[in-house]
Amino acid sequence: MPNRFTGTRRPASLALRVTALVGMATTLVFLAFSWIIVRSLEHHFAEQDAGELRAVADAVIKPLREAGRGVDGALLRRQLAGAVTGHHGVFYYVADTAGNTVYAGQGPNLSPIAAGGQPTARIDARELATWQEGGKSYRGAVLRVDGNAGLSGDPYIVAVAMDIDLHLSFLEEFKRMLWWATCIVLCIALLVAWLAVQWGHRPIRKVNARIRAIRSSQLDVRLNPREVPIELAELVASFNDMLGRIEDGFAQLSNFSADIAHELRTPVTNLTTQTQVALGQSRSAGEYREILYSNLEEFERMGRMIGDMLFLAQTENDPHNLHRVEVELGETVKGLFDYFEALAEDRNVSLHLQGRAGSIAADREMLRRALSNLLSNAIRHTPHGAAVTVRLSQDEERTVVSVENPGKKIPDEDLPRLFDRFYRVDPSRQRKGEGAGLGLAIVKSIVEAHGGEVRAASDDALTRFDVVLPRTS
Amino acid sequence: MKLLVVEDENKTADYVRQGLMEAGFMVDLARNGLDGHHLAMSEAYDLVILDVMLPDVDGWRIVQSLREAGQQVPVLFLTARGGVDDRVKGLELGADDYLVKPFAFSELLARVRTLLRRGSAPNHPDRIQIADLVLDLPRRRATRAGHRINLTSKEFALLELLARRQGEVLPRSLIASQVWDMNFDSDSNVIDVAIRRLRAKIDDAFEPKLIHTVRGMGYTLDAPDAE
Repeated sequence: MPNRFTGTRRPASLALRVTALVGMATTLVFLAFSWIIVRSLEHHFAEQDAGELRAVADAVIKPLREAGRGVDGALLRRQLAGAVTGHHGVFYYVADTAGNTVYAGQGPNLSPIAAGGQPTARIDARELATWQEGGKSYRGAVLRVDGNAGLSGDPYIVAVAMDIDLHLSFLEEFKRMLWWATCIVLCIALLVAWLAVQWGHRPIRKVNARIRAIRSSQLDVRLNPREVPIELAELVASFNDMLGRIEDGFAQLSNFSADIAHELRTPVTNLTTQTQVALGQSRSAGEYREILYSNLEEFERMGRMIGDMLFLAQTENDPHNLHRVEVELGETVKGLFDYFEALAEDRNVSLHLQGRAGSIAADREMLRRALSNLLSNAIRHTPHGAAVTVRLSQDEERTVVSVENPGKKIPDEDLPRLFDRFYRVDPSRQRKGEGAGLGLAIVKSIVEAHGGEVRAASDDALTRFDVVLPRTS
Repeated sequence: MKLLVVEDENKTADYVRQGLMEAGFMVDLARNGLDGHHLAMSEAYDLVILDVMLPDVDGWRIVQSLREAGQQVPVLFLTARGGVDDRVKGLELGADDYLVKPFAFSELLARVRTLLRRGSAPNHPDRIQIADLVLDLPRRRATRAGHRINLTSKEFALLELLARRQGEVLPRSLIASQVWDMNFDSDSNVIDVAIRRLRAKIDDAFEPKLIHTVRGMGYTLDAPDAE
């Protein structure tokens, strides 16, 4: 069988969707987390560096403040060189406002920093400059030092810097570690998500295995909605419903085959027996003719039954094969009354039409056939002297044709089965030339092909069949 | 009248031929589509009866060839399928009528006669007389032996049908279809009752009896042979 679904693309698997989402969420959360940690570490280092630079700067500024105007340059340099003790990896540089170097310590050349930087009065952790020189990284600041007013000292520009390679390499190391941690956590998250999905889908696979095990011989099995997670309960319930409908259909079908066999067996047995007996001894031409006539009647009945069954099969297999035209219901019923008039009068039954309905779109022949079956049925079951009433009514949604006749109550348990094929309320009626028991089944199949429904109701006084047809279908 | 029957089912073919020959027709029988196609195209027939389902050249093809060749010979289809589609297709291709298997032979005969009559000059007399029964068609009145008979319009239509086809056996289904436009198997009892009531008015008080029941076949209206 060719696959009907080629050409439609399969959506991504549920496992893939869930896993991908979990992976994405984990990665995002971890990246954000890492960013925050790294930022706060950097901030912490900057604060620490600023504190150290501040201490260095204070030590450098002290001799500058104490020096007055016209101080001895060599003495000042000596004082400056010895100003900072106990600090490693810190460098400083002092210049006057004109840019002349007052003191330059060892280490990186700080004069461009001092010349280019915007000098501030205080070292702030957020305004530290970082740069690289000679393969090393430095962090530093430029300060402006006002001279001692009392001593009419000159203002100076002081640049302080420190080697931050150690901090940077620590941060690098830390970032790498975070990266690895992210990767590992991602892998774990994906694995867990995958396992969770697989585990979560286990009920689906279990249900699937049970569905797969259902054979046409055991359509009575039902899945227990309590055995599955709540999310699947509805699916299981729908499946059970479907199974129920299939079971009904199957039962009907197999009953139908059994019924056909039964219905055909009786006339065939009769014909065989009769023919064998007839051939048992030679008879007159008149007798042979009698036998042939009798056979003919039986054949005709079988032919009608086959025709009816074919009609049913066609209507049910292809319910959309209708030739819809505008049908005037009142006219149609009157036409049928014309046809049944003789039969009704013969049985002293009168026919009445009540109510009115606009025209509907229907297959004329089929509708006539359905109504004719109902009328014929009603006339047959109406006592002498009584009346069959056809009632038309219509509202915005539907059109109802009711066929009513007084008569014996049909037992409640028989009502729903009236429209089944070969169903007869009174089994003894079977072979009294009252049709094959397909008349109401045909009514039902025609009405359902039109998108409508048939109903039967019966009480002690009245039996009523309703044909309900939708206005638009 | 010469008919061609194309039918591959042996028993059906034999009985159809025998029945038609006994009804006074000349019948050629083709048991496959190829022979049928050849005969239909080369010989002149008054009517062709075609089975749709043939193993080689099917009935559709034959009727198509006939119509393409401009032959207007009436064609009656026999189909095992009662599908509306088949029906529509057959009629669209140029068939004149169809009959769904299983069919009653009387039905086939009646349809054949209808189709053959269709070709001949239309016969619309104002008055039909059979023995002492007289039908005045324009005024829709019937008299028997000079007595006016009161008939309902449907009873008159039924009598007119029987009278127009005097001597032919009309099956119940044909009567239902022609008089009441009931083109499906309905309560055949209705026709029996209608005929009985008509008989009560036409025949009960008079001799000779004109309406006859042909057991297993249908009804016919005819005067007894005047000898």
